[in-house]
Amino acid sequence: MHADDAPLIGTSLAPINARDKVSGGALYAADLKLPRMLHAKVLRSTYAHARIRHIDASRALKAPGVKAVLTGADTPKPWGIMRKDEHVLAVDKVRFVGEEVAVVVASDEHAALDALELIRVDYEELPAVFDMREALAPGAPEIHAGTGNLAREIAFERGDVERGFAEAKAVHEAVYETPYQYHAAMEPMASVAAVDASGRLTLWAPVHSVHRTLLRLAEVLDLPTSQIRVVQTMVGGSFGGKLGEDANLYIAARAALACRAPVRLVNTRIEDFLGARPCMPSRIELKMAADAEGRLTAKQAEIYGDNGAYSGLTPEVILVTALRLDNLYRMKNIRTRARLVYTNKIPSGGFRGFGGAQIAFAHESHMDALAEKLGMDPVEFRLKNVVTAGERTVHDWKISSCEVAQCLTTADRLIRRREKRAARKANGPLRRGIGIGTSLHVSGARQLADWDGSTVLLKFNPDGRAVVVCGEGDIGQGGTTMLAQIAAATLGLPLEHVSVSVADSESTPYTWGAVASRLTLIAGNAVMAAARSARRKLLALAAQMLEVKEDDLTIKDGVIHVVGVPDLSVSVAKVCMAHQLRPGGEAVFARATYDAPTVVADHKTYLGNVSAACSFAVQAIEVEVDIETGTVRIVDIVAVDDVGKALNPQSVEGQIHGAIAQGAGYALHEQLVLENGRLLNGNLADYVVPNALSFPAPRTVIVDGYEPNGPYGAKGASEAPISATAGAIANAVYDAIGVRITSLPITPEKVLEALRARGGA
Amino acid sequence: MRAFELLEPRSVAEASAMLLEHGEGARALAGGTSLVLLLRNRLAQFSHVVHIGRLAELRGVLLADDGSLRIGALTTHAEVAAHPAIRSRFPVLAEMAAQVANPQVRNVATLGGNLCLADPASDPPTCLAALGARVRVRRGGEAREIELERFFRGYYETALEPGEVLTEVIVPPLAAAQKAFYTRFITTPAEGRPLVSVAACVAADGAQRWQDVRLVLGAAVGAPLRMARAEEMLKGRRPDAGLLAEAAARAAQDLDAIGDVRASAAYRREVARVLVRRVLERALEPAR
Repeated sequence: MHADDAPLIGTSLAPINARDKVSGGALYAADLKLPRMLHAKVLRSTYAHARIRHIDASRALKAPGVKAVLTGADTPKPWGIMRKDEHVLAVDKVRFVGEEVAVVVASDEHAALDALELIRVDYEELPAVFDMREALAPGAPEIHAGTGNLAREIAFERGDVERGFAEAKAVHEAVYETPYQYHAAMEPMASVAAVDASGRLTLWAPVHSVHRTLLRLAEVLDLPTSQIRVVQTMVGGSFGGKLGEDANLYIAARAALACRAPVRLVNTRIEDFLGARPCMPSRIELKMAADAEGRLTAKQAEIYGDNGAYSGLTPEVILVTALRLDNLYRMKNIRTRARLVYTNKIPSGGFRGFGGAQIAFAHESHMDALAEKLGMDPVEFRLKNVVTAGERTVHDWKISSCEVAQCLTTADRLIRRREKRAARKANGPLRRGIGIGTSLHVSGARQLADWDGSTVLLKFNPDGRAVVVCGEGDIGQGGTTMLAQIAAATLGLPLEHVSVSVADSESTPYTWGAVASRLTLIAGNAVMAAARSARRKLLALAAQMLEVKEDDLTIKDGVIHVVGVPDLSVSVAKVCMAHQLRPGGEAVFARATYDAPTVVADHKTYLGNVSAACSFAVQAIEVEVDIETGTVRIVDIVAVDDVGKALNPQSVEGQIHGAIAQGAGYALHEQLVLENGRLLNGNLADYVVPNALSFPAPRTVIVDGYEPNGPYGAKGASEAPISATAGAIANAVYDAIGVRITSLPITPEKVLEALRARGGA
Repeated sequence: MRAFELLEPRSVAEASAMLLEHGEGARALAGGTSLVLLLRNRLAQFSHVVHIGRLAELRGVLLADDGSLRIGALTTHAEVAAHPAIRSRFPVLAEMAAQVANPQVRNVATLGGNLCLADPASDPPTCLAALGARVRVRRGGEAREIELERFFRGYYETALEPGEVLTEVIVPPLAAAQKAFYTRFITTPAEGRPLVSVAACVAADGAQRWQDVRLVLGAAVGAPLRMARAEEMLKGRRPDAGLLAEAAARAAQDLDAIGDVRASAAYRREVARVLVRRVLERALEPAR
């Protein structure tokens, strides 16, 4: 069935859980209350690097209400998602200020907090290192023995880089730096864990993937997977902060097992800053070249990624930073080295865009600088180089659909860049400028195993209503609404007749969950296939009941009609009931698995088509710079996205707006400020997150696209736009004042310094 | 938050007695937007919290016959911003109050609470100091009035004595010739607290000479600061753009600015220079 034939597809729908959220009815992990539930609180390291000589918890153990104190002795097993370089609670050493050292479990939070103060940790301070390049220098303090502080190195060369530079008309070199960005979800991480009489553990938490969480818990706790159940609670935002890198859920689980009682652990805001694994800081030394026709001829990148003290998912993040933008522009000659470096700082981790925002900022700044050197218009320059549908990129990605050229021209036209530039005048100290930023993101990634699939059960209740049983969950982006929409559209049911199960590892088939913007394409295809199968079953049953041919039947609003015979029909409910209530009867259900037509990239060359589709985002942003104070105000945003067919345009727009807000914060003011590894702005007064006052409502355009691999032509929408924003803003600032800021965030102080360095405003 | 005893006095006198009785261990609670945060994060600890937020005698706004304004300590920032008499007679005060923090805070936080907290990164202290405001404080039956300039002692520090409760803010009448301006600087619109704030109160004579100038700088310093040398430069003069720029540069020179995670001292000083000049330039503009 094509999108145009399916009702609901392309229709803006409110999230199916919106009513619960806005009415206060939604249950978040921190809301859960279980009988005999205990409360945990975490003692964190005050040193950036120190040996733990001894922990004396004897006084804490005697404090009122205290049930247990756990330390590294209770979590001796090294673990880690990519590298086994961490422990749930520090063992022998602490490696950053804020590291989890001990946990008090008590009858209430106050008792636990009071007892934390009674724990004495005897530290022997060690020399620490905070700068990536210092950490790699000979003689630097080694954070993990035997690593030389190098957590991952990625190096590849494609084509003939020297020749590419030799053929160039323009070459540009610059060094870009990006900071830690905190996810700042409304809901800090929270977990509740309980153990039944047989020792079986259940965890309720707002995680991206219940099945992956289950596997990791099994590893950390040394339990068989069948002894663990993970249930996703309503998520109050994540943006990558709840990918399971934070120790929170492992601590809750370990504490519940130790106490044989339910344990609740809720991060405070400062703990969330320290624990949620913020966006990987980077330093990108970039050299790129283009020939007289404006074709990119060579790229050389030396990338440093700040891992912080532990790895989490960051070794995968830096891979994205190393590769991503090379799939946006047509390039042959590339030499890249990316090194992920341990420092004695907060571990970085997964963040919306997953390494894309760092490189897109550098790359898009660079594109404008190169265009200027060539004397070309920056949009024309991009149009000459962007990939098109049907191409294979330099990393062997198959571009199955791509409307980025249309995105570029549309954004440029709507912001009226040329007209405004021509008419521009200084207004006192205020200068205006317009910049363009471009980015792309995957729809799924075959990265951690040779499977990027989704299995879905579609089950009908006797009343003719359908339940999509799947383990993907909803991370707040509207994933379950999208799945219900596809099921309802395919089945011919009203949306209200479809519900989506809670992601519960026990009752749902194995899958990866809401990561890599994979749900629309991958889970969407699985749901569509299951719905088609169920539809065939329903029609076959109805054909028997109505004594007509299946081909003559159609389903609309939950009723099966004979085409052209208005009086002859039977409701889906009646069919389901008839199928069930008979000797040997059973419920109507269907099952489908979709595995993306992708490959795992080669481990040495990184070549391979890891994603079934790429989504593209372009933003044109106009800023106004006050050259006396250095402030940058956003005055207009045009965002144009290629998400294939937008299943739910309002939801896509919401993702674009949110991504721009997060991208604008990254561009202009968000950064964790550390002094000798100590976080100085771990609160939402000093760490400012954009709000409704920060910029006018973005003007959003979703171009008319169609992804052949996607359900009804759709692909991912949540992550591409965040990576476009910082480059667009940096380019707009340059357009306004002729000064290029290459280090994020573009604070007023940096703007003033740069203006001063250039020799006055 | 640690456990504390919540006391509910029925009068200012009783509140005062409670605060005296428990001394350092007690703190008055009005709107609670700051105090509750401090308690929740265990940044402050009190054995007793004296809730004065329901005392009717601390409420109300009164425009006296002499043109002075008396604002009850429990008046919220939203009430100050919306009050008809304040909007017509002290528009600068209403405009200032409308910018404080965010709507949620403005609806709950009280003007008295704001002044007693003495957070430098805030708006009312600077603006009120430039207007020559004073506060009335009571302890039992005794009352005294303190000029705001002397009320703020520094970073989160006031001249309140043990047992004293701030009951009202008194703003002297604005003369017809007096014009007052307030401006705050934030680096981005989502930032709730000013990095630098400047208020100016200027009275020009018939010859357009500035006879009375009060210039107060806040947020960048521990407590609102009169820029005396800059005021001197302007007094009795008929200012032009050049003089204003000089006065602004002088003000910035004299500033021993805070440098912290939000901005360096040098940047705050630079912004102070720009802001002082811009505020003074507004005073030069013909009345709207």
